[in-house]
Amino acid sequence: MKRQLWYKAIVRDRNGKVLSRENRRSRSILGNWYRILYAHMAFTSTSLIHTSGVDRGAIYFGDNWKFKADANEDSIGIVIGTGIAAVSIDDYKLDSQILQGTSSGQMRHLVSTPGWPSVAGSNCDFLTSRTFLNNSGGSITVRESGIYCRVKGPTYYGYACIVRDVLATPQAVPDGGSITIDYTLRITA
Amino acid sequence: MMKKQDKRTERIAIEADRSLEPSLSYKVEVTDKDGRVVQLEEGPSHSYVRQWNEILHLQAAAIYIGGGGTVKMTNGSIEGNAYYSVRSFDSNAGIGIDRSGLRVGKDSTPVSINDYALGSPITEGAGFEQLEHQLTYFTSPVVAGSTLSFTMQRSFVNHSGATISGIQEIGNYIEFTGSMTGKVALGFRDVLGSPFIIPDGGAITVTYTLKVIA
Repeated sequence: MKRQLWYKAIVRDRNGKVLSRENRRSRSILGNWYRILYAHMAFTSTSLIHTSGVDRGAIYFGDNWKFKADANEDSIGIVIGTGIAAVSIDDYKLDSQILQGTSSGQMRHLVSTPGWPSVAGSNCDFLTSRTFLNNSGGSITVRESGIYCRVKGPTYYGYACIVRDVLATPQAVPDGGSITIDYTLRITA
Repeated sequence: MMKKQDKRTERIAIEADRSLEPSLSYKVEVTDKDGRVVQLEEGPSHSYVRQWNEILHLQAAAIYIGGGGTVKMTNGSIEGNAYYSVRSFDSNAGIGIDRSGLRVGKDSTPVSINDYALGSPITEGAGFEQLEHQLTYFTSPVVAGSTLSFTMQRSFVNHSGATISGIQEIGNYIEFTGSMTGKVALGFRDVLGSPFIIPDGGAITVTYTLKVIA
């Protein structure tokens, strides 16, 4: 077990009190992660279905894998949803994404900046984290999370879903509360 | 309530550990001058090293020129201006190129997360203790059931005039971009279970399979 992806979900109420948490190994780096990796390692292009649902492919390109996200962006970075469909190797988007906003069923997406990898003992950890605020006026139950990254095909820019997980326990986020998702990519020598 | 949930998620995590893994494995094969296989080893790879995550970070965080990206190169020096680029993880080395792509060497020091090069890499050529580096060959990603995989392969031919023995390490040198293009870092390294011997006229072929299961 030399390369693992872990996620952590923490739900807080409006006062910052932790209501629930889940910490487990991610079930799924998806096929798209490896398709982009292949395009870079082999310095070539390959087919890849973007989050739009269209196969626009992937080619070696500078922006590929970028999942640093600005506030209010829901097309890139860590994303969350309410879907429960089992993970498949060819998933190209979340089952039912929670969009940016403050309307019913929406959450505010905060900024997300991947941290510098850190080495401790024989591990090298690469952490990225994002918090989502629920100002929708009602409770929202989060059941899936994932990572969308930038990708470029031979002709078109787009986004690719490279990680998706269905949470073991649905996480109910109360109005005024938040959920924070951490993903840690760990390699161990 | 939280304790109950933590117990449950811990159990689920243990179960997940048993079943799902982005994996890297290798196969090393020596053939004699007539193409007969004379030595073979297959196994799980033991090691991505830190540069793999560091280069991924350059891409994921979109580290610009001057953004302070640091990656240790295979020559032991630090590239302090590494940034996200079209050329990252590039392992597509051509014939006769020994600065990047798959490499073999003679060192048996256990892998460390801080490794930045093979311990004793074999250089390109037909001279004493040298091997001729062939093209790095990739197969396209293939999905079979819930698995996606692709492979990279490279052969090294011994035209040195003598047997080369003691090949005990393999790894991949990946190109990334720093103050100039064409910087090279170690991506993964493995120490083989036993030393490999390549007869004169023979070859050693290294195949890595990168696989992920959903």
